[in-house]
Amino acid sequence: MKTGNPIIHISEVNYVYPNNTTALNEISLRINEGELVAIMGQNGAGKTTLVRTLNGLIRPTKGAIYIKGENNSMKSIAELSKIVGIIFQNPLHQLFSNNIEEELKFSLKNLNYNKEQIQQKVDSILIKFNLEKYRNRSPFNLSGGEAKKLALATILCREPEILVFDEPTLGQDAKEIAFFLEVIQSEIENGKTIIMVTHNIEFAYDYIPRTILMAHGHIIADGPTEQVLTNNFLVGKASLILPQIHQFKLGLEKIGINVPNEVFKQQEMISFINQYFKTKLTSK
Amino acid sequence: MNAFKFLKRNTIIHRLDPRTKLLFALVYTINALMFTEIVPLIFIFLSLLPFIVLGKLFRQWIKSLRSLAFLYLFILIINTLFITNNGFSFSLAMIIRISIMISAFSIFFLTVDPNHLALSLISMKIPYEFAFSFSLAFRFVPTIAIEAQNIIDSQQSRGYEMQKKGIINQIKNLFPLLVPLIIGSIKRAFNVAEALESRAFGSTKKRTYYITIRYTISDWIFTILLLFIIIVVILIRLQIIIMPIWFNWSLPV
Repeated sequence: MKTGNPIIHISEVNYVYPNNTTALNEISLRINEGELVAIMGQNGAGKTTLVRTLNGLIRPTKGAIYIKGENNSMKSIAELSKIVGIIFQNPLHQLFSNNIEEELKFSLKNLNYNKEQIQQKVDSILIKFNLEKYRNRSPFNLSGGEAKKLALATILCREPEILVFDEPTLGQDAKEIAFFLEVIQSEIENGKTIIMVTHNIEFAYDYIPRTILMAHGHIIADGPTEQVLTNNFLVGKASLILPQIHQFKLGLEKIGINVPNEVFKQQEMISFINQYFKTKLTSK
Repeated sequence: MNAFKFLKRNTIIHRLDPRTKLLFALVYTINALMFTEIVPLIFIFLSLLPFIVLGKLFRQWIKSLRSLAFLYLFILIINTLFITNNGFSFSLAMIIRISIMISAFSIFFLTVDPNHLALSLISMKIPYEFAFSFSLAFRFVPTIAIEAQNIIDSQQSRGYEMQKKGIINQIKNLFPLLVPLIIGSIKRAFNVAEALESRAFGSTKKRTYYITIRYTISDWIFTILLLFIIIVVILIRLQIIIMPIWFNWSLPV
């Protein structure tokens, strides 16, 4: 997980806010190309501050950040945002155009594409996001979920190699989360690197292979999600609760049903229980 | 924006009644508007310093002045270019005038607790609804500043560049920031109104207050001092008090 050429290399980064609050404390981290990573932790742990350093919105007080092997301190936010696209929590912070088509074009105009290329890219992203019928609608008339979808589209149409999501599942219904999952799966297949700041432990546990836990500006754990999010001590320190499927596993163990260590996910648990009762019934 | 945000401290200026501080800001604004010459404006500007020292506000005051550097430059260039007679001297005087007004209101905002502001307005017989709206607007200034920063961050993440060449481009460049900020503020206003109504805002005509404010001896001393300052300024302006010639001195350019 930590070998190979990292697309992101954060080296001993500190960040202190002007009011002297230390938000990041000696953060070192490597993320490889094509990885899907969750950053989790309590409110105020430094998650959002950390991802804001990636495209230069926040410049570290100490340490260095290398994106594709280059130190990002010498690059402008505009240059970095071609590689790192951050999708913020509140979509209404970035919507301002008269209609959805114009909103998407604004993102692309900053990349110096010609008119035909812009139109082509806008058309394809509208189809991909099922927003074609809303092409001429004001972005302010969209529902919360649709606005979030549009905000995502405005970043994805720029095709950055690194995608950062800040609380992507917040306020999303099940259908919208399913659509979001489809999008990130297709982006991962296209070789994109995805970082997700989230409090949604069930989502992270089910779909994200690597998890970084933060508390008080420090990284307190970094490893496979199944190991990190099932550690009661670490999860508690990050003000989270254990995933439901793991709590269920612990509950079964309490009543004397020993669940094998390799059972982590919902489907694995269903197969185990199925097998367990079949064995019980046949032994009777 | 932090240069105008209330700082809880225990100084003589902080302890003053908000009405005294409102009078202070108004007196200094009027004083600044009375003159267009450099010397009297410098005197008025210097007379603010004791208030800043007493309120231990020096660092925030410098910040508030520094935040207007662009405006100063703009005033200096425009006035020097378009005023043929002593344009540079006039621009300097205007810069000092604005600095006085900004300093006076900076001292006011830095030392008045938003909760006390509403009470002081009510004690001046302003209806509670208006006083509350005013203090609410005051309280939302830092929130809007944070929101503005979030909007800038969001737009920069999609390639928006803050500095663009040419005035037209710079004006166009404001739309991606202003539209979300205004729409967000309107939406918040509706949400706050609903939240207030759901907490029975305005359900009774008579209401009680948790905090009470009162005029103390130091408030009376400050009020008399402020009235004395404004009377002297008016008398100088009306040339009832005759000042020496150097008082109207201006730069030759």
